[in-house]
Amino acid sequence: MFLALKEIKKEKFRSGLIVAMIVLIGYLIFILTSLALGLAQQNTDAINSWDAKQITLNSNANVDMRQSFLTKKQVGHLSRQEALIGETSVVAKAKSHKQLSAVFLGLNNNQFVYQNLNLVDGHRVTNSHELVVDTAFKQEGYKLGSQFKLNGDNHKYTIVGFIKNAKLNIAPVVYGQMNDWKSLRAITVGPVGSAVVSRDASYKNNANGAKTYTKQQVVDKLPGYQAQNSTFILMIGFLMVISLIIIAVFLYILTMQKLPNYAVLRAQGVPSKVLVGATISQSVLLVVSGLIVATLFTVITAWIIPANVPMAFDIPVLGGVGVGLLVMAMIGGLIPIKSVVSVDPVSVIGG
Amino acid sequence: MSSFSVKNVNQIFGTGTAEVHVLHDVNFEAEPSTLSLIMGPSGSGKSTFLSIVGGLLTPTSGTVEVNGLSYNERSKKERDALRLDSIGFVLQAYHLLPYLTVADQFKLVDKIKPQGNLSREALTDVLETLGIKDLLNKYPGELSGGQQQRVAIARALYPDPAIILADEPTAALDSARVAIIVKLLKDLAVKHHKAVVVVTHDGRLVDSADRLYEMKDGYLTKSTPEVSR
Ligand SMILES: Nc1ncnc2c1ncn2[C@@H]1O[C@H](COP(=O)(O)OP(=O)(O)OP(=O)(O)O)[C@@H](O)[C@H]1O
Ligand SMILES: [Mg+2]
Repeated sequence: MFLALKEIKKEKFRSGLIVAMIVLIGYLIFILTSLALGLAQQNTDAINSWDAKQITLNSNANVDMRQSFLTKKQVGHLSRQEALIGETSVVAKAKSHKQLSAVFLGLNNNQFVYQNLNLVDGHRVTNSHELVVDTAFKQEGYKLGSQFKLNGDNHKYTIVGFIKNAKLNIAPVVYGQMNDWKSLRAITVGPVGSAVVSRDASYKNNANGAKTYTKQQVVDKLPGYQAQNSTFILMIGFLMVISLIIIAVFLYILTMQKLPNYAVLRAQGVPSKVLVGATISQSVLLVVSGLIVATLFTVITAWIIPANVPMAFDIPVLGGVGVGLLVMAMIGGLIPIKSVVSVDPVSVIGG
Repeated sequence: MSSFSVKNVNQIFGTGTAEVHVLHDVNFEAEPSTLSLIMGPSGSGKSTFLSIVGGLLTPTSGTVEVNGLSYNERSKKERDALRLDSIGFVLQAYHLLPYLTVADQFKLVDKIKPQGNLSREALTDVLETLGIKDLLNKYPGELSGGQQQRVAIARALYPDPAIILADEPTAALDSARVAIIVKLLKDLAVKHHKAVVVVTHDGRLVDSADRLYEMKDGYLTKSTPEVSR
């Protein structure tokens, strides 16, 4: 530690460069991770907020709620653990507002999804053509009482409540009544909903033409969800490996330059382990200070980032990524250790 | 008892046509309270000899015994410990760690070997004798060659080693400084009972030697019988 600290103190510029590089890599990885998490959450926030375990869909719907219709017979009897949901894509239109794509979810007042909705403002839907909408609408300038049209429906809808983090497949959710879902879907007879969600993990619906999936199966089938996730995981993984290589190269060069000095110390009887300790603690000091600064940058970013950018700063996940980077850097820092151990003190005598 | 003894040491570098026989059947004994001077031209094998004596290089044949035990009988760790405790190298190319101030060069020794180093007063004496007392807060890069060499000497003496091996300790110094260094080495032998071995081609050191040797093409010979003090 003594040697490492003294060297960093003397070689401020050189150490600063390495720290700066680690800051950039760390910051990039933290931000990418937050983006990945944010996007993933915007895909699934609504589903997760229901606390559903099992979801029954039409067996021909390709595990896609939007493509699913269930008849009264297929829905069957529902206990207090189940709720019927009608999903359809809508576009919200109002004068002096941008058009907004959203997901309409029709609920029944007497079922748990409706009853557990956690509003940040206003009240639940009690009448036809009332909506509880995601706060994304607030960001677009809508307020309680604002009215807009959905798709071709001429009757205007009124916002009666706001709900946070109600996102499905990155689109904001608007919760309304089941009858409104039917009229948006132009259904008169036949289907009564898109899906049955259950809080009961053992719920099973064996009706003809219906199939029950776990929540995860439905989430994984959300359009683009897995592609997005694997893209991000791949990107972050590559960045980790690249950072490992970059940090390893820098630490290697740094250590190689010191080998003549280390040879002198070896000739003077300084044990190899002291030199190995100096090398490793130098790597740790540089990487940890880089990561601390990167964390600071990330915190600042989290503060100033606009609310509509899908970023989620999840401390355990970012902590894990940080530890991953540290481990990578340590592996990188270990590469030159072999040269340190095998440094030949004879080389210092002579001339 | 001798501090160390070198018996029938041969050193051959390379093999086949590239073979260089650098040391030929070298025998040598160093005793406490004695300043031995090995004179020899460039390339005669002086530094190679010191490397072997310091246990940095294992000779092709022959043995070196320090404190009655040969290097072959010591583990790598024990050889390190021996160098740290008992052997002070004053190197020809006086490397100091570039990122440690002069004061920190000594502090580093304290970190690795907390005990048995020179006391603060003794170190101050050495620094004063060498004329480098005011340089404590400087980095090696801020010192002249001669100043660096004197710091390197002080660094070698700091762990209070029983054996001092000096390779051209006066190369970068003017005659006035040479006299100071010679006196210092002589004092180490006489007053502090060290076994001091100096290899050099600097003729200015000859007068101070208790024993004088000559190294020529890898042959070590006693050049003058022991001079009385
Ligand atoms: N590792 C090595 N491989 C091959 N030859 C070597 C090696 N080390 C030293 N030599 C050779 O051994 C001879 C003696 O070298 P050494 O460094 O001991 O000389 P020296 O007496 O210290 O010279 P100088 O006064 O210039 O320092 C030289 O001819 C040198 O080329
Ligand atoms: Mg030499």
